[in-house]
Amino acid sequence: MKFLLILLALLAPSAVLAQGDVALASEVFVERVVTDSQGKQSIVREEPKVVTPGDRIVVVISYQNKGAAPKTGFELTNPIPDAVSFSEADSGASVSADGGKSWGALAALKVKQPDGTTRAAAPADVTHVRWSFAQPIAPGNKGEKSFRGIVK
Amino acid sequence: MTRTVRLLASASGLAVAALGASPAFAAGTASGSTITNTVSLNYQVGGVAQPQISASDSFIVDRKINLTVVQEGAATTSVSPGQTNAITTFLVTNTSNATLDLNLAVSQLAGGVSANGGTDNFDATNVRIYEDTNANGVYNAGVDLLVSYLDSVVADATRRVFVLADIPIARVTNDVAGVRLSAAAHETQAAATVGAVVTQTAGANTAGVDTVFADTNANGNTARDGIHFGGDDYTVLAAALTASKTSRVISDPFNGTTNPKLIPGAVVEYCIAISNAAGAATATNVAISDSLPAQTLFDTSFTMLINGTTGGPVCSTDGVAGGSQAGNVVTATLSNIAASQTRTVLFRATVQ
Repeated sequence: MKFLLILLALLAPSAVLAQGDVALASEVFVERVVTDSQGKQSIVREEPKVVTPGDRIVVVISYQNKGAAPKTGFELTNPIPDAVSFSEADSGASVSADGGKSWGALAALKVKQPDGTTRAAAPADVTHVRWSFAQPIAPGNKGEKSFRGIVK
Repeated sequence: MTRTVRLLASASGLAVAALGASPAFAAGTASGSTITNTVSLNYQVGGVAQPQISASDSFIVDRKINLTVVQEGAATTSVSPGQTNAITTFLVTNTSNATLDLNLAVSQLAGGVSANGGTDNFDATNVRIYEDTNANGVYNAGVDLLVSYLDSVVADATRRVFVLADIPIARVTNDVAGVRLSAAAHETQAAATVGAVVTQTAGANTAGVDTVFADTNANGNTARDGIHFGGDDYTVLAAALTASKTSRVISDPFNGTTNPKLIPGAVVEYCIAISNAAGAATATNVAISDSLPAQTLFDTSFTMLINGTTGGPVCSTDGVAGGSQAGNVVTATLSNIAASQTRTVLFRATVQ
């Protein structure tokens, strides 16, 4: 347990990295449906303090060009953690269902089945999500991309 | 070379497909697991690729407590009045994402509708809980152990539990005793001891492993209390025996077998017929005892026949030799009598 705490302490401050002159951060939130006193339901994002299997999480990736030069070939790649089942990603994402070998829109991907036949890939098959930016990221520009999943 | 690459690719595709198709996460990711998400960024400046940078965020999977108790087979246990060690069977499943000790308790309904639709109207006695220790699906006396809890049930594991009870002798057909087996989540301790009751993490969330009750309100349970029960029931099915005794004159010393009369020296045939009603339980160990009238004497020259059938009001002579006689008392033990079946005892006596 002590080891775990130390590990956490090490991990926590590393969420934001500014390497070179690009800032990059990944944050995980839990999405919950809450019902207010009027019975109206809304979805709120919480810090992932209480997370149990079946909970819906959102990963928010934020980036900023802090340097003076435009950044080209800007490409964010996020493998889906083993214990998370992918459900959906922001528009513009391409996904892979084979460990990052082939990429495309989910609807265009196929998954090979044990009997050798293929079937259309389902969200749960997704192993990686990627955003490739056609336009350079100008100095000072920043943005966010996110994807959702369910804790297995 | 190309061939190898292709093979690898297809093998990897298989692995992914298998993962995607697996029923996956009933209990889910183990409590205390850290899930880390890492994103990496590639970019160029002035057409020159820069070192890849990455960022991570982690969270810990908390402990979700969920469990179910259900009867095995959706049917009542049919019992006889006075039956001992009547068995109902339950399946207890830990659907939490952590190992638990499950504390067991059995209770009886006080009226109301039992699990299989009967109306509870009595309590069984001497109710005990046994685990299917050898996991063979049937209760084995002396092998399956008397328990009060299930030790260290891992996530997603199911254990079979037998509830044994005795049925009071006075109960009649269609009496129902409803029983409930409940399992409560306890911390798992060193083997062979039951741990403390699991409690939900109170108050604010903590950054460490929290405990959340997730059990449902199915079948009348209370949701999110860390306890789940399932019901089963015993339904009495008694044998319903009726006995009849008839007699007819076989012969007398003067008329022989032609229109014999009941005069001294006449031979009388007695037919005792035991019938079990339609839909009743099979009667076993049916013992017959019959005292002859003082004016008659058991006819030892005629072999007593038992387990025969009747033809009309009289016994057919299709029984087998059996039974015994001592003085004027005739006794016989019949074979099992199923529902709608009749078995007979046939013997003769002479009038004195």
